[in-house]
Amino acid sequence: MSDIRVIGPAPVRRRRRRLPIGVGVALGVLALAVLAAVFGKLIFPDAMHQDILAATLPPGSEGHPLGTDELGRDVLQMAVAGAASSLVGPVIVAVGSMLLGVVMGTLAGYEKGWLDTLISRWTDLLLAVPVLLAAIVVSGVMGGGYWVTVALLIVLFSPSDIRIVRAGVLEQSARPYIEAAQMLSLSRWRVMFRHILPNVTSLVVTNLMLNVAFALVAFSSLSFLGVGVAPGTADWGRQLTDGRAIMFQNPAAVFVPALLIVVVAVCVNLVGDWIGQRLSQVGEEVR
Amino acid sequence: MTVLLSELSVLGPNGTMVEPVSAEIAPGATLALIGESGSGKTLTAKSIVGLLPRGFRATGAVTVAGQELPVGLRGDDAAWRRARGRSVSLLLQDPFTSLTPVHRCGDQIAWTLEAAHGHRIPRAAKRAQVEERLAEVNLPARVADAFPHELSGGMRQRVAIAAALASDPQLLIADEPTTALDASNQAEILDLLRRIQLERRLSVILISHDLGVVRGRTDDVLVMRDGQVVERGATAEVLAAPEHPYTRALIEADPVVAARSGARISAEEAADVAEAEALLVCEGVTKAFGVRTVLSDVDLTIAPGAIVGIVGESGSGKSTLARCIAGLEREDAGRIVLSGEALAPGRGSRTPDQMQIVFQDPYSSLNPMMSIGAILAEALGVAGRASSEVPAMLEMVGLPAEFAKKRPAELSGGQRQRVAIARALAPEPRLLICDESVSALDVSVQADILALLARLRDELGIAILFISHDLAVVRMIADTVTVMWDGRVVESGPCHEVLEQPAHEYTRLLVAAAMRENAVPADGKD
Repeated sequence: MSDIRVIGPAPVRRRRRRLPIGVGVALGVLALAVLAAVFGKLIFPDAMHQDILAATLPPGSEGHPLGTDELGRDVLQMAVAGAASSLVGPVIVAVGSMLLGVVMGTLAGYEKGWLDTLISRWTDLLLAVPVLLAAIVVSGVMGGGYWVTVALLIVLFSPSDIRIVRAGVLEQSARPYIEAAQMLSLSRWRVMFRHILPNVTSLVVTNLMLNVAFALVAFSSLSFLGVGVAPGTADWGRQLTDGRAIMFQNPAAVFVPALLIVVVAVCVNLVGDWIGQRLSQVGEEVR
Repeated sequence: MTVLLSELSVLGPNGTMVEPVSAEIAPGATLALIGESGSGKTLTAKSIVGLLPRGFRATGAVTVAGQELPVGLRGDDAAWRRARGRSVSLLLQDPFTSLTPVHRCGDQIAWTLEAAHGHRIPRAAKRAQVEERLAEVNLPARVADAFPHELSGGMRQRVAIAAALASDPQLLIADEPTTALDASNQAEILDLLRRIQLERRLSVILISHDLGVVRGRTDDVLVMRDGQVVERGATAEVLAAPEHPYTRALIEADPVVAARSGARISAEEAADVAEAEALLVCEGVTKAFGVRTVLSDVDLTIAPGAIVGIVGESGSGKSTLARCIAGLEREDAGRIVLSGEALAPGRGSRTPDQMQIVFQDPYSSLNPMMSIGAILAEALGVAGRASSEVPAMLEMVGLPAEFAKKRPAELSGGQRQRVAIARALAPEPRLLICDESVSALDVSVQADILALLARLRDELGIAILFISHDLAVVRMIADTVTVMWDGRVVESGPCHEVLEQPAHEYTRLLVAAAMRENAVPADGKD
């Protein structure tokens, strides 16, 4: 009932909101992952150094706390150095598909008509394409490579962004404040990007974080399948493939990169949910 | 069978929301709770049915027919589920949202029936009982098979009443049961409730901000403000001789009373206005949505500086006419001429200095992500005015300059509507369209906004097209009035002429519904 929210001297914005413990931990993990991505190669420049004499050491070996793989590379060093390749791609994919989604989704939702039809059918088409299969085929044809994969995933991830932004824009553009803006004869770009877009930010950002997690998994899967990064690059997905053969001699070679992928993806999701919640409360009534 | 409230109070997250209230309601009697939004009347009602929002808690006791309700417990407690429905039912304000859209009306009534019986009822018996309940609220049996969206607002509220009463409660709480309805439906629903109440010897708590509803249909009244009862007594006595200043203010702010006291433009002035050269002329404006014609051949003239009221029920086409004039809808036929210049139909054909519109809902007509200052600066910028004029704009609509830093969510409904008016006036339009601009506001806030509009007209010489379903409100502000019904203009002329000698049948009905003393039921105790 509308009556209730006005009762009493309602505190309009509660500023002291405590960080949930789960989100705090997730933020900590992500901070570590980012540090590893930035400084990993500086700390362990020789992470990919092969030493056949120290091959397949179990965890706890001297000088190799997590053991080594078949080629004698240190599992811990590889995991730290691999953060960059494993994280940069997914972040670029998520940001790229978000930008594509914001522009195309806003145009489709606000302009409607033939432009909407065109963009919507295009997203339908892309959604029908299986992401991993397409990536394998394209990498096969184009010869593979990190940046080809990035570009491809941006395009393949964009439909969800486009659809979400379009739905949000459709919902907002029926509101009276948009008609009020039209009565002021504001330009369509101003209405779209100054009035509507800030009101769909929470959707966009939540989806951005979801996409980072999805892309992280997709990238690792591609590297695991051998079409992502080139062999010899420090990368969690690659490490997973290489460690598979010695799973019983040194389990850490498989489980460490696998765990990192899962943990980082979960943390990104947790933080994404939390940010989305916070953003959607900005400008809202206190209930 | 008596209902007793003793020391019932509501505690919220920030302390006491409603101070202890005690009252006694005899079987067949009605207690009115009146007050504005924020007065605590809805919280009081919700505490009696155990539907307080999270973080709120009730203390005290409520006894219905000798049985105590578990007011201190949480709403999802098993004790509540047994009590709710059997002894107390709640009828909500908005028949457009209180019924589940995906289920047939008959099923929704049957749920309450089965919940009250505590077991499933055989199909045939269920159907018979549902039809019986529908007949009680004067609805035909076929309504049982209809979905809520197939019914009008008045019919939906009848279904909601049937559903609320299906459990045969001893106490019915009606929370603003007619606020969302048109004037002519309001009287019918209230009379229906009164009839059923007397037949069943049902105790009723009627919550309203509207004195017209309370007058003649309730026995006792509690006037609430800021969570406290400021005045109580027999309805007729309180309304005739209010003791508390707040009650007096409420009664004076009531549009019916205010219009009676005669603060209105004289007949000669209205005639002068009509003779002046027209600012806006609509000729034969026609509009259909699909097969449904919502405007047929509508003519309208607005003189410069005049306030023209359009009255009609929802669905009469009044809002569509306003939107066609504003260029937000595209008329199918007809001409709209502003200062001698014909305007092309549809969006993008109006310039900001021609006309602006103030919408009904102040909660969604301001961009929630922009500050008040940014909203006004943008509107000023459109007219090439500097944003340094923002404080002056705020002052013009009676708001302090500090409001520029606030966001819409920090403002009350009335304050937001003032901002919306300031935004509309920033490009210095020749015509201001107010589409139900005060309908969502409380009566005293309504009166303030109407006074503001009248003052702005006097100061700026702007013409105002004022649209409302409430004749009493239009009467307070408009020089001339146009009555619309079913997409047509059925009557128009100077305000007092139309209202005092309504020529058309429909206008008479509207006037009767608005001047509520004519609509008091036969057994009214006023």
